[in-house]
Amino acid sequence: MIENTRLTRRRIGLLVIAAVAVLGVVASPYRTDIRNLFTVGFFNTALTLAVPITLAGVGGLYSEKSGVINIGIEGLLIAAAFTSVLVTGTTVSTVGADNAVWLGLLAAVVVSTLGALLFGVICIRYKADQIIAGLAIWFVFLGLAPFFSRVYWGQINSPTVATFDQIAIPVLSEIPWLGTLLFTNYPTTYLMLIIVPVAWYVLKFTSFGMWVRASGEHPEALDTAGISVNRVRYASIMISGALSGIGGAAMTLSTVGQFIGQGQTIVNGRGFIGIVAYLMGNYNPIGTFGAAALFAGLDALQVRLQQIGFDIAPELFGAIPYMAVIVVLVFFGYTRIPDRAGENYESGDD
Amino acid sequence: MSHSVELTDIRKTFPGVVANDDVSLSVGDGDIHVILGENGAGKSTLMNVLYGLYQPDSGTIRINGEEKRFDSPQDAIDEGIGMIHQHFKLVGPMTVTENIVLGSEPTDSFGIGVDMKTARREVREISERYGFDIDPDAVVEDVSVGVRQRVEILKALYRGADILILDEPTAVLTPDEIESLFEVFEELIDQGKTIIFITHKLDEAMTVADDITVLREGRNVTTLPVEEATNNHLAELMVGDEVLLELNREPHPKGDVLLTVDDLQVANDDTTLVEGVDLTVREGETLGIAGVDGNGQSELSDAIAGLLDADGGSVTFDGEDVTDWDRKRLNDAGLAYIPPDRQEQGLVMNFDHGENVILGEQHTFPIGRRMRDDELAEKIIEEYDVRTSGTGAPAKSLSGGNQQKLLVGRELERDPKLVIASNPTRGLDVGSIEFIHEQLLSVRRDDRAVLLISSKLDELQQLSDRIAVMYEGEIIDTVDPETVTERELGLLMAGQELTDVSPNSDRGEGTSQTAGIDGESE
Repeated sequence: MIENTRLTRRRIGLLVIAAVAVLGVVASPYRTDIRNLFTVGFFNTALTLAVPITLAGVGGLYSEKSGVINIGIEGLLIAAAFTSVLVTGTTVSTVGADNAVWLGLLAAVVVSTLGALLFGVICIRYKADQIIAGLAIWFVFLGLAPFFSRVYWGQINSPTVATFDQIAIPVLSEIPWLGTLLFTNYPTTYLMLIIVPVAWYVLKFTSFGMWVRASGEHPEALDTAGISVNRVRYASIMISGALSGIGGAAMTLSTVGQFIGQGQTIVNGRGFIGIVAYLMGNYNPIGTFGAAALFAGLDALQVRLQQIGFDIAPELFGAIPYMAVIVVLVFFGYTRIPDRAGENYESGDD
Repeated sequence: MSHSVELTDIRKTFPGVVANDDVSLSVGDGDIHVILGENGAGKSTLMNVLYGLYQPDSGTIRINGEEKRFDSPQDAIDEGIGMIHQHFKLVGPMTVTENIVLGSEPTDSFGIGVDMKTARREVREISERYGFDIDPDAVVEDVSVGVRQRVEILKALYRGADILILDEPTAVLTPDEIESLFEVFEELIDQGKTIIFITHKLDEAMTVADDITVLREGRNVTTLPVEEATNNHLAELMVGDEVLLELNREPHPKGDVLLTVDDLQVANDDTTLVEGVDLTVREGETLGIAGVDGNGQSELSDAIAGLLDADGGSVTFDGEDVTDWDRKRLNDAGLAYIPPDRQEQGLVMNFDHGENVILGEQHTFPIGRRMRDDELAEKIIEEYDVRTSGTGAPAKSLSGGNQQKLLVGRELERDPKLVIASNPTRGLDVGSIEFIHEQLLSVRRDDRAVLLISSKLDELQQLSDRIAVMYEGEIIDTVDPETVTERELGLLMAGQELTDVSPNSDRGEGTSQTAGIDGESE
């Protein structure tokens, strides 16, 4: 019975994908244009754009796996993006551009981790509703970052500051195609490429990873095994903060070198797309990276299409990740949300 | 004989409840020590104290003669104590091995990753040593309850437990699984372990125990070796023999059949909670339902009252088939319900008296009229002796007894034909109990009827014309409160059929039991 409905659902899902493919065929008269679109430079750009989404997503999945749904990562990205520009801009005259960007990155990680710690205290110490606390974190930084922009720079958008340079790794970067894609990148992109497999390994093969998974599925099991559920949850939330810190800094220091405070700020929903990415990736860091890369590719594609004069609404592209996650959650249904995610845990309850 | 565990004068209170009242206990090394008692007798609390989940208010714990203080389960684990909880503490999507080593994982040579190979080998080793047949790579949520329990036991053994506490381990098992669990016990004892086994089932205690400790209402009634115990004696000790207040339940003629329950079934996802219950209640009669909590009484009363859907069978009330009626319709038809939990189900704690007394009638208020009835509230306060500061005081400002009187008053003031009262005097003082008993007797005097569900035997014997005993969803016997002894009731409640079937008893087959107790009425 259940198998059957799952099968029909999967069929509908495939149908949706087929419909998208048909759209592609409709676009086939522009075949040569399309070939010009998907250059190695395009993929390299997509990889850069994937960094904040991936890191926010991997951080968020650690938090949620431990039982704390952290939708505040959007706010943490904003805090990190702002801090990275502020610290880079103010230290550049004393330490030089090369060091200032690293100081900016470090400061972003510190501020974002502290923001996450605040979220953790609200949820764990004061047992607030996780979703409401997460929304609060988002709104607080959505308001504070543009405010401090005005305080420091007298305007809502910061001036341009120094940025990271793309580093070509000797020898490896000379491999045709792959060398340009993987080995000529910003430091933050390399960090992401290291963090994703490490995060996967830690979650799957280490004690801490096991505790994180147990904490979100059946915290009593962990508690009675003598491991503090709250400590595991604090640690996981702070990981989400640290990774969001790198992601937020990547958004400014590995691109334009500017914090934009207008509207949804420069972050513009990437934290939420990060959540979508880990849901699509079924809480697997590597799957999360895959989904994030897909969304980043769509983003890059949209920009490219505009450049070659293809007038397509960017809002429509912006909605694709969210539509995609609905299709995945409803029709494929393999995403398994941790059993006790969203529930505060009190030790000693029976 | 050396004692591996000695608890002395353990006292543990929760707000408003004394769960353990100076309980002392000593468990011999290598013994199976059974802790026997009804639900709420304080068995689990005592064991959670021993396992470091609760800190006692006073009293001492000695392990192998040394005084210990357990601030967390980790401290107890370090002293070789392992606990297998009634509700398994297992992570469903993880494998058997992962669950067993959780929190004490062996690490690989780099000290970073978990060495799953070693873990799997160790799990297989202990599993074989105790004769368990378990696949270390099976995912826990895919295996049977019996296997999960073994995983829990292995978890404790993996951590080096010498003293195993099992909290109602048989509650979730099939008879076959129970038998093999007892074989596991033997294996564990052979390997030098000590077992503390918590249960409320007499025959299980008699089967496996070396010593039996009986707890009742948070106190240690007695500890005795199994050779000196008999089922009857244990049942008496469990249930107790409190001095009853004598009530004047004068004989009363019975009228027409008011409520007929025929082959009623209630089930949730995977278990049957009420299994083919038949009963009848006549006008002017009180039918008592006895049973240890959790044997289907609350589901039975909820199903009759229209709060739960029946999965089979029928309910006829006042000549009409009301099986599918909801609470509102039954309420309007004259079936009142005094729910077991006055604070969660009976009253709205933040509402004042005037608001609480209209609950159940609120739909009769036209839009725009104030949703309260102070006149009725005044009347209930007066007639039911509710001690309160006034009709405008919120229900939460009242004591438990006065909340209950307000609730009983509200339900009885509707002039119902039948009152279902579920544990109407739980947790009340003697004065309030007496008052509520008097009210229920007056319902019966007025040729109306009462269906009384209670875990208090004295209450049932004082108020009922007949007592039906529920066990595991079935009515296993119906007895005459005048002639039945508390011991017999205790045995029935523990699932043991009486060997000498009293002439008045009725096994609840068909609807032929209308005669009730012949000698007493008519």
